[in-house]
Amino acid sequence: MTSSAVVEGPNVTEPSLYLQGIPHDRFAELRAIDGLAWHPYEDGGFWAVTRHADVRYVSRNPELFSSAIGHTNLWDLEADALEARRSLIDTDAPDHTRLRRLVAGAFTPKNIRRWEETVRAITVELLDEFVAQGGGDWVDMVAAPLPIQVILTMLGVPVEDADYLVELSNYLVEGTGDAQSIPPDAFGNTTELRLLPFNSPASHALFEYGEGMRQQRQSDPQDDLVSHLVQAESDDDERMSRSEYRNMFHLLVFAGNETTRTAISHGGLALAANPGEWQRVLDDPALIESATEEILRWATPILHMRRTATTDTEVAGTPIAEGDKVVMWYASANRDEAVFEDASRFDIGRFGAGRTDSDHFAFGGGGPHLCLGAFLARLEVTVLLEEMAKRSIGLEQTSEPVRARSNFVHGVLSVGMQPSIVR
Amino acid sequence: MAMVRVAVDQELCIGGGICEMLEPEVFELDDDIVIASVIGDGLLPRNRADVVVDRCPSRAISVVEQEQ
Repeated sequence: MTSSAVVEGPNVTEPSLYLQGIPHDRFAELRAIDGLAWHPYEDGGFWAVTRHADVRYVSRNPELFSSAIGHTNLWDLEADALEARRSLIDTDAPDHTRLRRLVAGAFTPKNIRRWEETVRAITVELLDEFVAQGGGDWVDMVAAPLPIQVILTMLGVPVEDADYLVELSNYLVEGTGDAQSIPPDAFGNTTELRLLPFNSPASHALFEYGEGMRQQRQSDPQDDLVSHLVQAESDDDERMSRSEYRNMFHLLVFAGNETTRTAISHGGLALAANPGEWQRVLDDPALIESATEEILRWATPILHMRRTATTDTEVAGTPIAEGDKVVMWYASANRDEAVFEDASRFDIGRFGAGRTDSDHFAFGGGGPHLCLGAFLARLEVTVLLEEMAKRSIGLEQTSEPVRARSNFVHGVLSVGMQPSIVR
Repeated sequence: MAMVRVAVDQELCIGGGICEMLEPEVFELDDDIVIASVIGDGLLPRNRADVVVDRCPSRAISVVEQEQ
C-alpha cells in the first residue's frame, strides 16, 4: 500500500451485512471520495474501486490488473491452492485465451439463439405450474429451476440431477460467506478445503460429478458441451488439462445456474415492488429488452471481483503498488449516478426500446473476463418476461426474502410470490 | 459521417461475439474456431466503429484506415 485513504464506516466485506441487502448508502459514500478508498480486510486490505469509470478502467486493463495472481476473491490463496482451483476466472492471457476459446463457441449470440425454443419450453412449464399452484416460493419454483435446467441441457447432464446440483451450488454460496453449514468431510470429501473452490466440500462433490460425466462421454461422445470439453482434454494438442476440465465443469454448472437464478430472483422482487413499471412493459412490449437490462443492473448477481496490480500504477489519481489488491465493486458501479440517472430507481424503460448494448456491469466491467454466459442469461430473462406478459400476470410478494450471507453473490434463498392478474 | 475501415487481430480475439451482435454486416464469427473476421469491405461510420472498438472484450478490433 502506498497511501492510506482509509475511510471510516461500515465494512462492506462483512457477509452478514448482505442479509439486509447491498449496503448502497455505504457504497455511495465510497464513490464520493477523491481517488480510491483503502479498505481494511483481514490482516491487510484492498483498494475499493466503486465508481463506474474506475471499474471499467481496471476491468479493461488486464496487463496492469491481473486475474492470475493471488486470487480473484478477496483472500489470497497459497500457490498450490491457486493451481488446483485455477479456472477461466483465475487466468490471464494466454491461458485465459486458450480456455475461453474452448467454450466461447457455445455462447456466441448466434449459437445462444438456437436454444430459444428449449428455454421457452422450460419457462412455460415452470410458469404454468407456478400459476396453477397460485404461487409459492419464487426461487424454488422459477428462479432456480429455469437456469439450471437450461445449462444442464447444454452440457448434456441429466436434468433429473438439477435439484442435487442446485443444492451443491447453495453450499458453494455459503462457502463465499463465513458460515458453512456442512462439515469438511461432507460428500465423502478428503481434500483439504483450501484446495477446493469456495473452500467448500461441495466443490469436491461437483468435481466428482464432473469426473463421472467425463468418463461417460469419453466412451460414448454426444453432441453436447461436456463431450466437446472431454474431446479437448483428451486430444493430442494439450488444449486442456484434467485439472482445467474439472474446474471448467465446476464453473459452468455453478455460474450457469447461480447467477441467473439471482437475476430472476431480484427481477421478481423488483416487479412485485414496482407494479407500475411492469405495467409499462405490458403496455409497450418493445420495452422487454430494456426491462431485461434493468433487471440485470438491479440484480448485479456478482457483487465484486478482485484483481492484483502487476506493477506500480494509479487509478483515479491514487497510487497503487505492485501486488496491491484492487476490488471492483459492480454492485456500486451499477448505482453510479454519473452513468445512471436516478440510479436507485428501478426504471424499466431506462435503456430504451430494443436496446441490447447497455452499459451496466452485471456481466463485469468489460475486458476479456466479460461473462461467458451473458447472452444466455439475457435470453432466459427475456423469455421469462415475454411469457409473463403473454399471460398478463404480475407478481405479488407474500413473504420477506431470505438473502444469502455472502459479500460475493447477491443471492436470494427464498421469497414467496403469487401471480396477480394485471389486466 | 466519415466512413472508416476496421480490422480484427485474430491473435487477440476470444470469440465474445459482441462485434457480430452489434455489426452483423461487418463481422462474422467462424463456427469452428470461434474467431471473428471482417466480411465484405469492413467499412463502418466512425461513430459505430468507435462503439464496436470500445465494446470488444479483448481489444481485438481497430480502425485501420480513414476513408477519404
